[in-house]
Amino acid sequence: MNEQDSNFEPLVKLLALKRHEVPPPGYFNNFSRRVVEHIRHNESAKGEGVLGTLFAEAPWLMKFVRIFDTRPAVAGSFASVLFLLLVGVIVYTDFFPANNPESMLTVPPVENNVSSPLVAVSHEFFDQSVAASADQVSSTNPVYTLGSADSAFGGQGSMLQPVGFTIH
Amino acid sequence: MAEPIQPLEPNATSELKQEVREEVLVRRSRRGDLTAYDDLVKRYQERIYATIYHMTSNHEDANDLAQESFIKAFQVLPSFKGGSSFYTWLYRIAVNKTINFLKQRKNRTHLSLNDLDFNAEHDPDLMALISEKTPRREAGLTELQEKLNAALLKLSEPHRMVVVLHDVQGMSHEEIAKVMDCNIGTVRSRLFYARQQLQSELADYLK
Repeated sequence: MNEQDSNFEPLVKLLALKRHEVPPPGYFNNFSRRVVEHIRHNESAKGEGVLGTLFAEAPWLMKFVRIFDTRPAVAGSFASVLFLLLVGVIVYTDFFPANNPESMLTVPPVENNVSSPLVAVSHEFFDQSVAASADQVSSTNPVYTLGSADSAFGGQGSMLQPVGFTIH
Repeated sequence: MAEPIQPLEPNATSELKQEVREEVLVRRSRRGDLTAYDDLVKRYQERIYATIYHMTSNHEDANDLAQESFIKAFQVLPSFKGGSSFYTWLYRIAVNKTINFLKQRKNRTHLSLNDLDFNAEHDPDLMALISEKTPRREAGLTELQEKLNAALLKLSEPHRMVVVLHDVQGMSHEEIAKVMDCNIGTVRSRLFYARQQLQSELADYLK
């Protein structure tokens, strides 16, 4: 083995360079204190049951929570933002209920009101058109299309007409 | 209540005194005495950090792994039966943690080298390597350091560990065998192979 060592003497001398690599000045001054602090944290976290397990498994979460310990203003701001978000969601759902998809496809029939010239549905006309297309199957939800009709303002307006369709 | 340290014979060697003191510290640490454990950490922090750093060539990784090794050692201290020295037992934890970390990281290595201390420039052996007689005489110490670390990272983790423990940290084959939990023959063959690889890799700097 001595012969082998002598063969590698230049390499061993080069490897001695590694001994001159040192961490930043003062690195070890607080090393043991950080280790002990971490152990204390782990032990107190262990005593909190589920939370302890969570913090042990995800130390980044512990660091995130510790930010609130050291900066109460950040904790207050974070809580305020969460509260406002919650209020916003509640207000939004109250004022903007979810739409029924079916109502998007149908237009509730409008009363045959002469004073309402823009949209006028002639029930009589509708009944006649249904009778004329008796060989066709129509949906129980009437579907209307726009057709041309005389407008109360003159010229061509639009009038809702029933559409028949065939189911094969 | 802290266990008092028994006074030794006046002619007891300093090594023996240190051993006895360490035994007391370990016993107190096992009972949860963090002050005693703090003393143990201070005793071995530099060696453990150095081993891990030489294996990873990354100061940040070495910092994290060294702390985790000491934390883990405290957690499993009840399982330390005293069959080996506390030093060997602690080293084994650090070595296993480091090797597992490196295996998981595989080839995603990132050098983050420590600076060289003042004495490096006055080391005659190192100066000889960058003297006029070497083919790459223009290579400075920093370049040597980078090449050396890059070459070490090309070794497999077990081979690298043997070179670090023996040629950098000066451990004996027997001590390395205990730390790495293998026989002395394996230590010697790994050391020989690793040195061959390094020699080939660093040939330009060794002539």
